[in-house]
Amino acid sequence: MNSKADKKNLTRRLAEIVGEDAVLTDERELVVYECDAYTLQKNLPTAVVLPRSTQEVAAVVRLCAGLDLPIIPRGAGTSLSGGVLAVDGGVIIALTRMNRVLGIDPRNRRALVEAGCVNAWITRDAEEHGLFYAPDPSSQPACTIGGNIATNSGGPHTLKNGVTTNHVLGYEMVLPDGSIEWLGVEPDGGEEVGGYDLRGAGIGSEGMFGVITRALVRLTKAPSAFKTFLGVFDSVDQASQTVSDIIAAGIVPAALEMMDQLITQALEEAYHFGFPLDAGAVLIVELDGLAKGVEQQARLVDEICRRNNASEVRLAKDDAERAALWKCRKRAFGAIGRLSPNYVTQDGVVPRSRLPEIMRFIRSVSDKHRLRIPNVFHAGDGNIHPLILYDERDPDQVKRALQAGDDILSKCIELGGSVTGEHGIGAEKIDFMSRQFAEDDLEAMQQLRRVFDPDKRCNPHKMFPGAKRCAEFAPKKQVVA
Amino acid sequence: MTLKPGSISELQESLSQSRRVAGVSLEAVAQLIEHVPEDMTATVQAGMSLADFQAHLAKAGQWLPIDPPNPEALTIGKLLANNLNGPRRFGCGTIRDWVIGMAVVLPDGRVIRNGGKVVKNVAGFDLCRLFVGARDTLGIIVEATFKLSPLLEAEAHLAKPCESLGQAEALLDKIWDSDLQPTVLDLHRIDGEQLTLVAGFAGPSADVEAQSGAASALGFADEVSLDYDARFRRTASSFISVAPGKLISTLQDLGDESFVARAGNGVIYHTSAKPTEAPSLELQQRVKEIFDPKGVLAG
Repeated sequence: MNSKADKKNLTRRLAEIVGEDAVLTDERELVVYECDAYTLQKNLPTAVVLPRSTQEVAAVVRLCAGLDLPIIPRGAGTSLSGGVLAVDGGVIIALTRMNRVLGIDPRNRRALVEAGCVNAWITRDAEEHGLFYAPDPSSQPACTIGGNIATNSGGPHTLKNGVTTNHVLGYEMVLPDGSIEWLGVEPDGGEEVGGYDLRGAGIGSEGMFGVITRALVRLTKAPSAFKTFLGVFDSVDQASQTVSDIIAAGIVPAALEMMDQLITQALEEAYHFGFPLDAGAVLIVELDGLAKGVEQQARLVDEICRRNNASEVRLAKDDAERAALWKCRKRAFGAIGRLSPNYVTQDGVVPRSRLPEIMRFIRSVSDKHRLRIPNVFHAGDGNIHPLILYDERDPDQVKRALQAGDDILSKCIELGGSVTGEHGIGAEKIDFMSRQFAEDDLEAMQQLRRVFDPDKRCNPHKMFPGAKRCAEFAPKKQVVA
Repeated sequence: MTLKPGSISELQESLSQSRRVAGVSLEAVAQLIEHVPEDMTATVQAGMSLADFQAHLAKAGQWLPIDPPNPEALTIGKLLANNLNGPRRFGCGTIRDWVIGMAVVLPDGRVIRNGGKVVKNVAGFDLCRLFVGARDTLGIIVEATFKLSPLLEAEAHLAKPCESLGQAEALLDKIWDSDLQPTVLDLHRIDGEQLTLVAGFAGPSADVEAQSGAASALGFADEVSLDYDARFRRTASSFISVAPGKLISTLQDLGDESFVARAGNGVIYHTSAKPTEAPSLELQQRVKEIFDPKGVLAG
């Protein structure tokens, strides 16, 4: 795709499939698609198409296969690891115009949606039936189901409910050769599907197996009772111990989130929720289920918090206060802009019992590299999100910020964890793959990739060591949802 | 030839030299590698029986929430390879929902690991789900890591005899629309016995009491055991699967035949059921060709 004539030809042929208004090739328009919410690497795609149907997607994919052009599926672009970066150019297939909820089936507790459907819209439409779609990434007002499937998204409420793979029954995918396959449970079908679980294998495949166009998701009965606590602690250690004690008591809360002092201070300044400014750490503990059982567990949680010297245990008094609390929590990353011109969000996992250790380690990294590192994370899952603050105008700070991230993720591996709990490998964490996995482990993953994409044309240069990088690789401000 | 390796490396060795293997018995590879109650995770070798594994976990007040028939005779490996489950499936999900990592010996003898031992992890492709239910045709699972649950504080299973499938359907609709959150929702008619609906409740004792009370208002009375499932599936191990909303019409077509149905899931075990056929056949074949090009594992 080097010559102008080639590009003109591509534009014309894409327009023949999707219409002129659904093809972008002008640099001023393409710039929107040069990266996702991971902005350390950027590159312009050759073109962006915005198809309106599975048939259009398939025709675009076939055209690209004929021209040997990479294809990059993209939803809302809220991903945090460069998963939708057009590393070597190619055609971005943006699913944002295929965003309908096609049907809610309350009797079978299922919803059929197009891939570009926004996560939060499913619950919006299912609510009247007393149902909801469980996975709730913080970006849920913007992120799409197709993207959620590609990254196996999590969220604060995955502790009890599970992640995307536990809630997606089946989906339609356009394979890199242009064929259309339905993987997993069919919209009217039974939940047992014969043969190998290609549905499960494709969830979390980061857009490297094909373009997801429709999805059948499981709806969950909405709990009838909630109790949401705010536990205030002097130190992160005390809060971490409380997390362990709640789990040890046999309680699985719907959510168990921790925020340290830097975060609560920033949140308070931004949203005035009423967080204590002098607390070392704050826990959000949410119990849900049936009224009696929730009450029974609430008494225990309250006791455990106090036993760990909580200076205050506050119960959200009504649904409005509960909603306000979660809104604050999910906008935590946004409040960081007040603390620092730039920051990088890390996403690591440790076994839950190692939380106190990793939190102490993060403090030592913060001291060593002279950078502030606030923490807001899914404590119940052991899924940490240290936010490394830096100023891009100072090249030395940039270097130290990258090194701090590397130190923390290396420690996660050492403690028996993982370098990503929900954001994915994408372009960002390729180098960690060979540290977390052996060569044969990676080769087996490549074998699975060959089932779907033998030519490695679908979202290439991701996930695996040895991949090509963008020419432009400079730390920039990272905006996070 | 059925292999009976004494260790994982012996299995690697045998597979790399074999041309065709009919089955693998892993009874000698049956150690509990690790159970960390604070993490609610455990790693076990695939030859251990599910019952032994559960006994280990119970010592720390935990369990793997899965209840297939005959856990004494069922190894962790077969549980995974055949994706088995039981009546609590409606509330607990299937084994795919609980496995977070595994080690697998591939047909060429290489041993690979996928996933890990943390409950949330998206590093790399999810091969675990591919190997679960693959019936030992792509590789032999030799070790698995699971997330676990606290042992249930309380559990009650109540039965309601039904006059007809129509009556059962009306009751199911009522339960579906109510506040009840059953973990078991079965409908069975075995060897001419009466058609019976079973609802089970589990969790904090206060919940189980309240829900049992609400269920008895719908006519559920006798507390029953769930052993009908294992008894019936000894002779009927195959099932058909339909959308839950089509359960009753499907059962009507069965005539007088005996069945045990997971009413909440739309899964019906009965004697003449034919195994579900795989869709996307070409993709399915490609998986087998890529992971086992020489056809070593007959499954």
